[in-house]
Amino acid sequence: MESKSERRSVLTVIETRILAAIADRIFPATESPGAVEAGAVEYIDRALAGDYAEFLSSYRKGLRALNRHAREKFGGKFVRLSDADKDAVLLDLEAGSVPHFKRSADFFETVRCHVLEGVFGEPRYGGNRGLIGWRLVGFPGQQFGYADAYINKPVDMSPVAADLPQDRKE
Amino acid sequence: MTVGGAIADICLVGVGAVGGILAKELASAGMKVVGFERGPAPRLEDYAPRDSIKFIARADRLDWVRHEPTTSRARRGETAELRYCTSPLNVLGGALLHWTGQASRYMPGDFKVFTDEIQSGNAGRAGADLRGYDVVDWPLGYDDLEPYYERFEWEFGVSGLAGANPFAGPRKRGYPVPPLRHSARMQLFAEACIKLGYHPYDTPAGILSEAYRPAAPFDGRIAERPACVYCAHCNFYGCHVHAKAATLYTTIPVAVETGNFDLRTNSKVFRVNVDDGGKATGVSYFDPDGQVQEQKARVVILAAFVFENVRLLLLSKTDARRFATGLANSSGLVGKYILAHGDVRAYGLYDDFIINGFIGPGSAAIRIDDFNGNNFDHTGLGFIRGGTIGTSGEGTPVGRMDVVPPEVRRWGKEYKEYFARYYTRTFDLNMQPETLPHKDNRVDLDPRQRDRWGVPLPRATFDFHQNEHRLHRFMAQVGEKIMRATGASKVWTGGKERPNRWAGGTRMGKSPRRSVVNEYCQSHDVPNLFVVGSSVFPTLAGYPPTATIAALSYRTAEYILRQKDW
Repeated sequence: MESKSERRSVLTVIETRILAAIADRIFPATESPGAVEAGAVEYIDRALAGDYAEFLSSYRKGLRALNRHAREKFGGKFVRLSDADKDAVLLDLEAGSVPHFKRSADFFETVRCHVLEGVFGEPRYGGNRGLIGWRLVGFPGQQFGYADAYINKPVDMSPVAADLPQDRKE
Repeated sequence: MTVGGAIADICLVGVGAVGGILAKELASAGMKVVGFERGPAPRLEDYAPRDSIKFIARADRLDWVRHEPTTSRARRGETAELRYCTSPLNVLGGALLHWTGQASRYMPGDFKVFTDEIQSGNAGRAGADLRGYDVVDWPLGYDDLEPYYERFEWEFGVSGLAGANPFAGPRKRGYPVPPLRHSARMQLFAEACIKLGYHPYDTPAGILSEAYRPAAPFDGRIAERPACVYCAHCNFYGCHVHAKAATLYTTIPVAVETGNFDLRTNSKVFRVNVDDGGKATGVSYFDPDGQVQEQKARVVILAAFVFENVRLLLLSKTDARRFATGLANSSGLVGKYILAHGDVRAYGLYDDFIINGFIGPGSAAIRIDDFNGNNFDHTGLGFIRGGTIGTSGEGTPVGRMDVVPPEVRRWGKEYKEYFARYYTRTFDLNMQPETLPHKDNRVDLDPRQRDRWGVPLPRATFDFHQNEHRLHRFMAQVGEKIMRATGASKVWTGGKERPNRWAGGTRMGKSPRRSVVNEYCQSHDVPNLFVVGSSVFPTLAGYPPTATIAALSYRTAEYILRQKDW
């Protein structure tokens, strides 16, 4: 994996802003942090530079089409719309009913999955910052194992993002 | 290391579940075995991170999957699309590295579906529509495999409790280690099944509940392995403590230790060679540098995944008339009657019970076989056969993010609140409905798409048909009923119409006209050619195939060793 400081975004500043606005509607900040705070945009940007490179062009086209639809439907850029109007645009996308964008439902589903991966994935991929996603749902992370089955009781372990080096300590 | 001079005793194609067993058995008896594995030898840090992005979200992006695509389509006439099938793993040790660990034996009736369902009149009483299917018996029975199931269980360390499942076949010996620790989902499911009058039991699991090392009369050379730590990263992951059974760290090291096993990784066989007399002479392969090489042998064993076993036979066709449509294909059945389970699920969520489904392996499961095989009365149901039903695993948030009742929107504030509250409060039942052998389900060579060596890709044509559709609906109803009995606050059913756990394509049988191999996985046409694995299954059964694949491997090895003059 490339070092953080050297890495440059594959998405443009504008694309990044639109994506962040989508991520915030898919998994919004409420009384707890949402997808943007978890680093889902960073997660996606990194993935598009690597394992998900094949999705880059569909992101480019999709984000453009979404912005066009926002303008046609509500007369403004997507990022400037109210939350309710943003959701209306996204619902059209999800329903596949955006004019001149045949595969909009597929695009929405792809982005939805990637945003949620960015919330709940292992932090080494750039998302789930501060283990926000895991804390929110009560997942203790990459535990070595569980000495108790925790049947009908909360797990009293803080989440960890630990990989193999710890495991190898004999 | 090279062994056996110019002509080896055995060319073994694929060193996974099957190849890992055959290599140990044959090399230990003094045979010079050359094993070809098209993938690399993986290191612990490659297969064992508890990383849900790598192994769940991006499972189809692993090198071990990407390097060997298939193409697939639902029916003839469609153009097959490139597909990265995650069932096989192109790596030393194969799919046993990432299996869930469900180690059920087949039931005695699973080997005689024709006798039990058609000849008996059961299909008629059920009102089943079996047009397009070719339902047959296996050429061997449960009793023939029983000693070899036992070998598998005691060499790999299967957790279980003998006598717990009233529908299981008789066994001479118990299990080497007791069942795995119970989880919340197992407890709720077992209680519900008892309430409904069913027969819940602990699934035999290829995951150790205690540290274990085989001892006489089993193979004491196999290393000791530790007990499961209940991290729940089993299905699609490698096991970081090696509690899960895999040839990579059980039988393969023993095979290598004999000095008779020449293991060649990153070596991809693309053809079985035959002489004018119709005997196999060895294989041609691409070495790690992509150079074409040849290895001669007295016996050739295809021990790859379903698609690859078929593909190799089809690629090995010759000008001679008898092999013009593929090697060992005088029956015309190479590639035909492939099989795969459907994926049917019932989900439950609980307002007043914490499940913590991220704890414990998926194969630490309670199952019932009350609706498997012909264990229940099918009169008027419109289908034959059934499937096992049990609790399912895979508990990370990435793996569970779509476990949402149909009326809850899958994004936005509502989704966030739902998932925050219920992630630790759901579990699902997984049904494994049997699929019958249908004439339209097959593997052949893709006419358009090739792999990076220029070799045509295997093309799967597969769909579920009328018996499956009816059975899937029935299984979903049963699952829903059980979930309600667990006291779930909400129950729903679903599942992808996505085939998994593949079998068939080189079916075994008594008649050379109606099958590709005999009961010893030996080609009817080419006596020194064996095809081993789930590809030989004539029918599928409502269980995962792994234990039966392993048992057939032990039995085939013994048969090969019994013949003196290869």
